[in-house]
Amino acid sequence: MRNSLVLDKNYLSYWLRQIRQKMSLIAPIRVGNLGVVLKTVENIHEIELNCPASIPSAKEFLFPQKEDMFRLSEGTVDILRNDTKRLIFGVRSCDISAIALLDRFFGENFVDDYYMSRRVNTIFISIVCNNPEPTCFCLGLGTGPFLKSNFDIQLTDIGDRYIVETYSKKGSDLIKDYYYLFSKPKKSDYETQYEILLSSQASFEKRINLENARQKILIERISDPFWDWIGRRCFECGGCVYECPLCTCFNVLDRVKSEGSGTRFRIWDACMFKGFTKIAGNIWPAEKKGTRIKQWYFHKLLYYPDHFGKFGCVGCGRCTITCPGHIDMATIVYKIDIGDKRRR
Amino acid sequence: MDKIPTVCPYCGCGCGLYLCVENDNIIGVSPVRNHPVNNSSLCVKGWNCFEFIQHPDRLRYPLIKEGGSFRQASWDEALKLIAARFSRIKESSGSDSIGIVSSAKCTNEENYLMMKFARAVIGTNNIDHCARLCHSSTVGGLAAAFGSGAMTNSINEIAYARLLFVIGSNTTEQHPMIGMHMLDAVDKGAILIVADPRRTQIAEFAHTHLRHRPGTDVALLNSIMNVMIREGLVDIPFVKRRTENFDSFKDTVMKYPPEVAERITGVSAEDIKKVARVYATEKRSMLFYSMGITQHITGVDNVCACANLAMLTAHIGLPMTGLNPLRGQNNVQGACDMGALPDLYSGYQKVADPKLRKKFEMAWRVKLPSTPGLTLIEMFDSALKNDIQAMYIMGENPVISNPDASHAWDALKSLDFLVVQDTFLSDTAELADIVLPAATFAEKDGTFTNTERRVQKIKAAIKPFGESKPDWEIICALSREMVYDLNYRATHEIMEEIALLTPIYRGILHHRLDNNYGLQWPCPDVTHPGTPFLHRMKFAKGLGTFMPVTFVPPAEIPDKKFPFILTTGRTYFHYHTGTMCRRTSTLEREYPECLMEINPRDADSLRIKNMDKVRVSSKRGTIIVSAYVTERTPEGIVFIPFHFKEAAVNLLTNPALDPSAKIPEYKVCAVNIEPVK
Repeated sequence: MRNSLVLDKNYLSYWLRQIRQKMSLIAPIRVGNLGVVLKTVENIHEIELNCPASIPSAKEFLFPQKEDMFRLSEGTVDILRNDTKRLIFGVRSCDISAIALLDRFFGENFVDDYYMSRRVNTIFISIVCNNPEPTCFCLGLGTGPFLKSNFDIQLTDIGDRYIVETYSKKGSDLIKDYYYLFSKPKKSDYETQYEILLSSQASFEKRINLENARQKILIERISDPFWDWIGRRCFECGGCVYECPLCTCFNVLDRVKSEGSGTRFRIWDACMFKGFTKIAGNIWPAEKKGTRIKQWYFHKLLYYPDHFGKFGCVGCGRCTITCPGHIDMATIVYKIDIGDKRRR
Repeated sequence: MDKIPTVCPYCGCGCGLYLCVENDNIIGVSPVRNHPVNNSSLCVKGWNCFEFIQHPDRLRYPLIKEGGSFRQASWDEALKLIAARFSRIKESSGSDSIGIVSSAKCTNEENYLMMKFARAVIGTNNIDHCARLCHSSTVGGLAAAFGSGAMTNSINEIAYARLLFVIGSNTTEQHPMIGMHMLDAVDKGAILIVADPRRTQIAEFAHTHLRHRPGTDVALLNSIMNVMIREGLVDIPFVKRRTENFDSFKDTVMKYPPEVAERITGVSAEDIKKVARVYATEKRSMLFYSMGITQHITGVDNVCACANLAMLTAHIGLPMTGLNPLRGQNNVQGACDMGALPDLYSGYQKVADPKLRKKFEMAWRVKLPSTPGLTLIEMFDSALKNDIQAMYIMGENPVISNPDASHAWDALKSLDFLVVQDTFLSDTAELADIVLPAATFAEKDGTFTNTERRVQKIKAAIKPFGESKPDWEIICALSREMVYDLNYRATHEIMEEIALLTPIYRGILHHRLDNNYGLQWPCPDVTHPGTPFLHRMKFAKGLGTFMPVTFVPPAEIPDKKFPFILTTGRTYFHYHTGTMCRRTSTLEREYPECLMEINPRDADSLRIKNMDKVRVSSKRGTIIVSAYVTERTPEGIVFIPFHFKEAAVNLLTNPALDPSAKIPEYKVCAVNIEPVK
């Protein structure tokens, strides 16, 4: 149930400070000249909401790059699950949309305890993107720049105030105790909000149509030389996968200290690596880079819609920013869409 | 979760990244957005650079060898013992019987302290580090030609160049983030010329790929310059105004017309002419080189030839031009800058210069030795002759990395006393009498200097593992035991001393580097913004000097018994002797075993199939590796990476040295190959 309130900007830090007494607070913080990252807040006034949407995603707070699963020593097992209560403040709609899909991936058929333990203890306050970046293309995917459902709390910056919308129970619980900070929106507030949403939608530079690319792949069949041509530019860094808020592959490994003691951990893995599909007998089925890139795009554009009814992409543009070879989702989908099968 | 901004510990690119820390555990990495080097990207090593930090193999406490095996010791016991042994050897056989090996993996502050320890505490100039094995020819060659041995231009200029000439560098694999800028330039329409015997990834993007025979770089470059002079492509005003010694250089170069070079190098005369014309006529031409140029017995000559080329066409001293050696280690530039070299103090100030020595004597309040010390390979030779009796090795693994590795092993075995300070029990540490556990880059503060002279701050993200300590603390503690008080409360105090004594670092202080992109030296005062490109208006030494160089064939040429040329190097997924990367699960899985690249035609004639085991032998040793049949490597040449101790290619390599830089010829040696039945 969507519920709208108004919060004066001057009250924001007070509200966050009250919440922080109950849980740890994570928000975008500026690190000198190096840019903005999501991290635990020490000083609430350092929170930097005026930052690009493409700062590293909130995925790592629910599914860290490396996570210890259990520790074994002399016959006793310690299950290491993180259940710290956390509020992640200031993330964008694309991240919230991605997390809604992660929830299904990690919780629908097989419940991943490690993810779920972090997830149920985390609340998100997201903020509507007033100024999307040139790399953003969430608009066409319905994953941003604002959300209509499936969020905890969503803020819209309307100048000196925020429109505060709550959707989940977790979200409204966070407001309940501090109702004295909030007021009812006026009609003019709704109008300002509507104008901001329209102008935000209008300022997207990238119009990427994933559905067209999907149809092209299904009907026209993209030739292998196209993928090999793309593969030449691949640095095999795994950055696209690591940065993607929807990529969930991991490898499980043991770190043995001595016999009978050690730690089992999991670590992000990527289908962009040839060892990812290595099988017994020293066989590397995806030795060519093109094959692996094709797999990634097929997963995002074909298999994801088959499983979840949605694309495996939320249009956050992080692969565009991180890919050293510039063979990211937006570029490749555009190439497929316009029928560029050039093979130089 | 906290995110600590720091710098990648692998190659010389110096990419900015954050270490993600949760409950004193490092749980991930993310790239710094808009960093001038990596611009939001990282290579696979950077993305996985955190996994080895808390590996259970890490050294937890000092070890003392007793009766052939190690036992746990306290810091106090270990340091007292080292101090006593060093003092005794110093008294009985003199300071010069002790050799110190510093590390390009450690910070500037630590290298500075190590060089101060060697000179002020031990009293010897016998200090060197692995730059000897990678870019000593650059330091020597460019000092002679320009007066400063570093990359002249900056990484973020690359994308705007009009022409890139890459010689002897596998850039996309060894300096991936520099390779990224190169691809950007090519996308923007720049011409790319690659000279490399192997068809590397960067060569696939090249407009012209010159596949010259290994070790023939001088002939190739001389003939390119020959064409320039004959066709009037020389920038005469530049040569007249800013250089010297052109005439004798011209006489030498005239002996290398393209037709002669074609016979020596195997590159067609047409290609040579084409490259000469386009390199000279494009306005913004950048020249890059790496180990393919330096690791030869003619390393200095190769570097000089590159310098000549840049001067002849005036592609230097301006943005988007220049001569750009790509340094291999995260802080090899810094270790050289800090004077971890036998003949130089920090900032390339000569030990032999009495005025400069006086300055350091006054600052350190101790008499300093005046004659240059032994270089790295010479130290090992002297150890065998018993002239060097004790060594103190910090963060290096010469048993795997030195040429003719069994020689290095013998040398270390013959020492009276060996101290190794490292993060893991490396193959070298196993030979030590005392092993000291050091902290990794994530557990200490300091600065690294990347290949483009950018001094960047690293920051401790977690507490040191076990009882390990940062190298600078260990050196300070040891010097106190040896009654010379190296006393610093934190690394910024060391940096202040460096700035005081080193003109090129004078304005570089920690508070200017915190949460920032760093500063590029020379930085002469605290308000100076750093220098993105060198030799503007005037070379560091005044006039640039043309150094006439002649072609000398490699020290070992294939013959009947050893018919193949072996060339060595790194692969994308691994790094040097594998101490860090082989403890990183993703990297180890991607490239789990040593592979020898061999051309399909050679493989056919030897009846070798892909992934067959082969025995590779040279005059010095034999190893067994798997063959990887690929067109990347030309006929008659095989390539083996040196990361793997189970197939240590440096058992085969030739320890022949460049006469002045003393760099060994890793890139060429003759081998025989036979299938293992």
